[in-house]
Amino acid sequence: MEMKINELEKLENEGVEQLPSEERRKFLKFGMVVTGVFLGGTVLSLTSTRTAGAMSGPVPEAGKFPYSPHYTMVIRGNRCVGCELCKEACVTTNNVPSYGYRTTILEKKRKIANEAVETAFMPVLCNQCNRPPCVRVCPTTATYKDKTTGIVRMHYKRCIGCKTCMAACPYNARYFKEENRAVDKCNFCWDTRLSKGETTTACAEACPGDVRIFGDLTDPKSDAYKLLYARDKVAWVLRPETGAMPNIYYMND
Amino acid sequence: MINNKIITFATVLLAGSFFLTGNGHAEEAYDVQAYGPKTTIIFNTPVTASFDHKVHTADIGLDCSSCHDSEMVAEKRGFAMQRGVAEATGQFTMAAMAEGQFCGVCHDGDMAFGVDENCAACHQLPDDPIIWTAPVKAVIFSHDQHVNDIGLDCESCHSDVFAMKVGAAPATGNYTMRALNDGQYCGACHDGETAFASNTQCNTCHIGVKGYNRAMGTTPDTGGH
Ligand code: HEC
Ligand code: HEC
Ligand code: HEC
Ligand code: HEC
Ligand code: HEC
Ligand code: HEC
Repeated sequence: MEMKINELEKLENEGVEQLPSEERRKFLKFGMVVTGVFLGGTVLSLTSTRTAGAMSGPVPEAGKFPYSPHYTMVIRGNRCVGCELCKEACVTTNNVPSYGYRTTILEKKRKIANEAVETAFMPVLCNQCNRPPCVRVCPTTATYKDKTTGIVRMHYKRCIGCKTCMAACPYNARYFKEENRAVDKCNFCWDTRLSKGETTTACAEACPGDVRIFGDLTDPKSDAYKLLYARDKVAWVLRPETGAMPNIYYMND
Repeated sequence: MINNKIITFATVLLAGSFFLTGNGHAEEAYDVQAYGPKTTIIFNTPVTASFDHKVHTADIGLDCSSCHDSEMVAEKRGFAMQRGVAEATGQFTMAAMAEGQFCGVCHDGDMAFGVDENCAACHQLPDDPIIWTAPVKAVIFSHDQHVNDIGLDCESCHSDVFAMKVGAAPATGNYTMRALNDGQYCGACHDGETAFASNTQCNTCHIGVKGYNRAMGTTPDTGGH
């Protein structure tokens, strides 16, 4: 399984250098610059059109979404103050034990000018990938991609606890829940909220800084759509080089 | 800010305390009848301030009656020989003192340093940073940085911008970014002119749950893996 990820990475990560300059400019115009060294030092990079298949880079072309509704979360990282109200709301809503998490906040410190240190907080959660490595490696189809919504969900009863999915996840977004002896993960509050008619996740609702914008990309009136397809907006994803095609987008403001 | 009187005074004090620590007998010899209660009196209402008998009696040589005089007490120009009486009047304020009442009888900038200066002599500057946990965890404020490094006077914040009491701002229910961006609280200076604007570099003021746990020395319960 580790092999598979490695192969994936080799296959998918061609980098920006190969792109003709015209293409590269097109990318930058679409706002697909990728930076940062979060998540264990993985250097993020652009995905090229060719390797991303039907998608043109991390952000799908407006109007071309594989799911309907196509749920996404846009994270305005620079607004996060690390208050973790999102995490608290998730824990209560989804009955998450203290030793695990469905979503968490990473903290990064970096040296800036004048010997000052800048702190950045970064919310992370399951990226509900279009090509989820976890789903590929699950031997019992306990974890699957919902055909309608694209949410990566769990059949808890089918899970044998082999934890292969946990190792395959590029985002460290799964944990083994002792209480039901199965792997647990974020499902955009599908069972606890969305399926009951709520329109947003518990974390997004709890966020006092409007950092987490949950929405349906097939709805051009949704805030998520408006943010992602605004003129001159730069959005990026985490670890695009794995080719998992994540649905969590990051941007500043 | 600190006038010469205070500097002289501080020197006297220093010599005095050196004498006391260097001579156990002097310590034992403290005469409550002659100098008044030995322990510092701490007022807590509405804010925290302290009063030391020894400084006023033993060191400066004031008589008990210069403060403890029933007629003066009635006029709020003196003090009862009982803790809490001045506070209970509800009028033990800087404004009253500036008009010559309570401590202001002498602390008028002439007989003794005035109440419009040297605030830190009577109100102790908090050493540790203040950390608020509401509305969100957590925002940090350092008196040390603002007063000692940046050089701001107490009056630039107290009491127009902030009450001299931790927790007063959150208790208003209006301690929010909207208020800051409207020029209240930190926003009185953090407006992009006097100091960096409140709607920029969020995590200079905010330290998050992680920073709060570190400051409190508790293990972060991030859980998992
Ligand atoms: C410079 C003013 C001043 C002088 C001089 C002064 N006191 Fe006081 N004294 C105070 C104040 C202020 C209080 C607290 C009153 C209050 O809380 O309302 C106080 C309170 C007291 C108390 C009550 C303490 C308690 O714990 O309740 C005693 C006893 C006392 N003084 C004795 C003396 C004696 C004896 C002298 C003279 C040797 C003296 N004081 C001189 C200002 C003074
Ligand atoms: C009867 C006059 C008088 C009254 C009333 C009085 N003081 Fe003083 N105080 C003095 C004098 C004189 C000094 C010496 C400092 C100077 O020369 O400016 C002094 C010095 C001080 C100092 C500096 C010494 C130190 O410990 O750092 C403090 C603090 C102080 N007073 C607090 C108070 C407070 C608080 C009150 C009211 C509760 C008060 N005083 C009431 C006369 C008075
Ligand atoms: C001579 C001592 C002394 C000095 C100097 C002094 N204060 Fe006070 N202050 C007091 C005492 C005594 C009280 C009333 C008791 C209490 O609230 O603890 C008080 C109360 C206050 C209060 C609450 C009551 C009110 O008036 O709103 C504030 C705020 C305050 N002081 C601010 C300041 C500031 C700012 C300075 C400097 C400009 C200053 N003080 C200088 C002794 C002093
Ligand atoms: C830049 C603004 C600022 C300046 C300057 C400043 N303070 Fe404060 N101070 C605060 C804030 C903010 C609080 C907390 C108010 C709250 O929580 O509502 C506070 C609270 C306090 C308290 C209450 C502590 C407690 O435990 O309740 C004291 C005492 C105090 N300040 C003394 C001083 C003194 C003395 C000076 C000057 C030497 C000073 N401050 C200068 C902002 C300031
Ligand atoms: C009276 C004006 C004033 C008020 C009120 C004020 N500040 Fe400041 N603060 C300054 C100034 C001036 C600087 C230094 C200039 C700069 O950094 O832009 C500063 C700097 C800072 C810094 C950076 C310190 C460093 O160098 O690392 C922080 C953090 C800060 N303030 C937090 C706060 C918070 C939180 C509040 C409200 C509780 C607050 N300040 C209220 C004037 C103020
Ligand atoms: C100058 C200091 C300062 C800066 C800069 C700052 N904040 Fe705050 N913030 C505060 C203070 C003070 C509070 C109130 C105390 C608390 O919640 O702990 C607060 C509260 C908040 C709250 C909860 C209350 C509310 O308004 O909903 C949020 C959310 C917040 N800040 C977000 C941000 C974001 C996002 C940024 C950057 C764009 C930011 N803050 C920048 C000082 C600051």
